[in-house]
Amino acid sequence: MFKNVLSRLVTETVRSRRYVPNGPVIQRLIPASGPVRTFTDRKGEAQPQFDASLLDVLVCPLSKKPLRYDAETNELINEELGIAYPILDGIPNMIPQEARLIQKDSAETPTH
Amino acid sequence: MAASMRLLVRRAIRLSHKNITLTAAGAAARSDCCRGSLVCRCFSDEAEDRSTHFGFETVPETEKAKRVYKVFENVAQKYDIMNDAMSLGIHRMWKDTLLHVMHPQPGAQLLDVAGGTGDISFRFLDYIRSQEERQKRRVARSSQTPSWRDISNNYSTQDEPRESRAVVCDINKEMLKVGKQKADSLGVSAGLSWVVGDAEELPFDDDQFDIYTIAFGIRNVTHIDQALQEALRVLKPGGRFMCLEFSKVNNPILSRIYDAYSFQMIPVIGEVIAGDWKSYQYLVESIRKFPNQEEFKGMIEDAGFYCVKYYNLTGGVVALHSGFKL
Repeated sequence: MFKNVLSRLVTETVRSRRYVPNGPVIQRLIPASGPVRTFTDRKGEAQPQFDASLLDVLVCPLSKKPLRYDAETNELINEELGIAYPILDGIPNMIPQEARLIQKDSAETPTH
Repeated sequence: MAASMRLLVRRAIRLSHKNITLTAAGAAARSDCCRGSLVCRCFSDEAEDRSTHFGFETVPETEKAKRVYKVFENVAQKYDIMNDAMSLGIHRMWKDTLLHVMHPQPGAQLLDVAGGTGDISFRFLDYIRSQEERQKRRVARSSQTPSWRDISNNYSTQDEPRESRAVVCDINKEMLKVGKQKADSLGVSAGLSWVVGDAEELPFDDDQFDIYTIAFGIRNVTHIDQALQEALRVLKPGGRFMCLEFSKVNNPILSRIYDAYSFQMIPVIGEVIAGDWKSYQYLVESIRKFPNQEEFKGMIEDAGFYCVKYYNLTGGVVALHSGFKL
């Protein structure tokens, strides 16, 4: 009985893993000023765009102030504290230790 | 030379004295699960760094988060399979029960903390969709023979003022990656967002969400009271806090079977399927270290939630705690 359950689970995961992102890597296609529609393009983008509707709820975890989305560096920037949170695969990383310090012109990455 | 050796030995004994007392506490905890936590607590107060439990081990608080991160990084790929194997599929029933008790209405905003692979959020979106269809059917039935003009008017006014949305927040990137892949393969994307964030320091503004859920995640948080405070902060007034977590089984026979299954079967299954004995050993131990239903209810009330109650599922193996921000 256990073997049947196992085989069924394995086939299900194989089916779910069959999704492979194909197509060219399209990055920074849409300018930051225009509306960012991410979820309309499901396939064909290895680098999914960040969904701007998240900006309504997202704030800096340290100061609880709103953030600015910077499309060039693909980061969320808190001007006050001068830190930038990276976005990987369309998922913003809001852990304070992983944020990058923006010190005037030089950028220092704090060691994690 | 003998004198310096003696000094070194004495210093080593002084340093190891702290470690020995801590490991003794850990050993005591291993033999006597419930009472061991008290022993751990008094030794940890003596130590300079605050220490907490990682399974039956005692570790400094700063270490715990890192080790938990590593555990979930290792198990992320096989997480869903292991859930099915370990709970024999019953975890699906627990999560469905959470949704039924939650009974979300279209337009609700959900924050799923420690949501990882997104099980709760997918169920939430499905539930909302079926609710919306049910509403449409009810409206259609009540207006059975209108003219086509009335029907078209109804459609235009039926737009939701706000779309329901689920935000999945997890501290672990690997778990979120697996969850996002699952979403993409299921074709679910509307109203679903993914964020890497710390439950003790949520990157969300105050009074944002209608429902906050944390399913099988809160026992991995280092400071549970901080996570509860954050939950209270991000919920709207009238918002609901819901927590699914493994808890104490009261029935002695079931408890013995459950303990035997947990400590003997689960790490073995972990080794066979995921190739990771230690992570699943941690999982089973962390369940034993988590406070029981009443204690956790007290913690939720202390954080400031009202009307806190819990439902025991599967004889107390899992408890569903619920509280409101009023």
